[in-house]
Amino acid sequence: MSSANPGLAYEDTPPLSAPLRFFLTAPLFGIVAGAVLAFGDGVLTSRWTPGALALVHLIAAGFMLQVMLGALQQILPVVAGARFPAPLGVASTTHALTSLGAAGLTTGLGLGLPGAIVGGGLLLVAGIVVFLGAGLLALVGAPAVVGTTRAPRDLRLALIGLAVTGTLGLALALALGRGLALPVALPTLVDLHAAWGWLGWGGILLAATSWVVVPMFQITPGYPPRFSAMWAPAVLAGLILWSLARFADAGIASITLGIVLLTLVVSFAALTLHLQSRTRRSTPDAPFRSFRSAMVALILGLAALAANAAHDADHWSVLAGVLILHGGFGGAISAMLYKIVPFLAWLNLTQSGVKAPNMKKLLPDPPVRQQLRLHLVVLVVLVAGVFEPLVARLAGVLMAAEFAWLLLNLVRVIRAWQRARRT
Amino acid sequence: MSTIADLMTQDHRACDHDFARAETLAAKGDWPGATDALAAFSNALNAHFDAEEQQLFPAFEAATGMTQGPTQVMRAEHADMRATLARLQDALAARDGDEFAGEAETLLIMMQQHNMKEENILYPMCDARLGAVSATLCTELSHSLAAEHAT
Repeated sequence: MSSANPGLAYEDTPPLSAPLRFFLTAPLFGIVAGAVLAFGDGVLTSRWTPGALALVHLIAAGFMLQVMLGALQQILPVVAGARFPAPLGVASTTHALTSLGAAGLTTGLGLGLPGAIVGGGLLLVAGIVVFLGAGLLALVGAPAVVGTTRAPRDLRLALIGLAVTGTLGLALALALGRGLALPVALPTLVDLHAAWGWLGWGGILLAATSWVVVPMFQITPGYPPRFSAMWAPAVLAGLILWSLARFADAGIASITLGIVLLTLVVSFAALTLHLQSRTRRSTPDAPFRSFRSAMVALILGLAALAANAAHDADHWSVLAGVLILHGGFGGAISAMLYKIVPFLAWLNLTQSGVKAPNMKKLLPDPPVRQQLRLHLVVLVVLVAGVFEPLVARLAGVLMAAEFAWLLLNLVRVIRAWQRARRT
Repeated sequence: MSTIADLMTQDHRACDHDFARAETLAAKGDWPGATDALAAFSNALNAHFDAEEQQLFPAFEAATGMTQGPTQVMRAEHADMRATLARLQDALAARDGDEFAGEAETLLIMMQQHNMKEENILYPMCDARLGAVSATLCTELSHSLAAEHAT
């Protein structure tokens, strides 16, 4: 196999178990998040409750991070021609460190255990460092060509967002657990960590993926080239300037830059909805509709974030978190998982010379449709739960069921894959 | 001036549109319409594969000396897609809507992950490595695709 163009090789598709371990671990964090919400007291009354801090990290550093790391190992070779060195070793090390780290960190945040916050944070960041180190080596060896989309560049920019988020997170863990003196007020650093996490890492990754996934898999017109060319660099530049303004305590500048950033994200979500409305596929399936609902939830979440800036009440920031993390990222990620996992199983069987059942035999539509419907119900109940603690408990129970069902559907694919291998 | 990447990417999109039309008609149960649409898609897809296998890949291999590398993998993926297309045609002949939908979904994902590699890596590499040959090849590819689409 030529080393000049490694990303084009079947042989360089990572072993099935490499991404799969991330995808199967991810829903477990969602189940625990549901339990925290169901059994914790007044978890959603403020973004600062121990339960809310645990919940947000179970979803962001648990569920979302696991899926994103697993998916990146799959997509970086295909889109950017980047070959991970020792893919199985990197996957198992990263997976062990990040899953244990997220478990430790969230336990520490939820129960107020400084040792667990620091230990978990260190493990989590160590996992990210291993992943980023391997990703950097892979990208350095990738062919230096400019393709027809900006996805390869923007995947790289998202990795910068991940590095900044991890660094800020570690500083916060050390401040909380070891009394590290911070150069800025703790709430300011929390805001920076959160913004870099959901936007600099998650948002740019979502956009980079969308540049290829939406036009190609949903057969829509492409994103206007100027838009996709400027979007991620503008977000990254905006985040840097906004962070500096927050550091300098420059109120007007940070509000202006905040508005610019929100406008950029709304424009991405609205444009995605517009392009999807022009799909040539006549039978939009449940994951397609889920992706669209995710864009709507993202826009509503941004509206809540704007309301929070204008009127500082606890419920706005919690509402924004619910809509952006569960509604936006949760919906889009679930939709993508339902496409990625059956395809990987199919690809693995085909490459092994086994006659693979088609995608819909590996994972039939009805359970996917029902689980994604539950996802929307959970979102609605969660929104109500922001205002009524008793409803939040119900949302927790439903959320645990949602993620258990997601896991069950993914396991269904693995079982079908095993059956096909035996025949 | 059009590049190989532009030309071939546009042809991918044209194939996608033919695919979507066949899928739409089959979902509606319009089997005669779906038969025509799938035939058009099959012609377009095979014309694209043939143009790559007979013109573009040999030129890339000659320019780079890589005969066992990326082009070999692309040829193998073409073979997989041709096999899935055959199953899609069988499902259409049997007027089996569920089987058609499942095979169509599989082919679409297979096709797009293949296209991602070509559009982001292989075609730009062709443009970069083929140098002076690039413009002539582009015209030839354009003729082949146009001629075969017309049949």
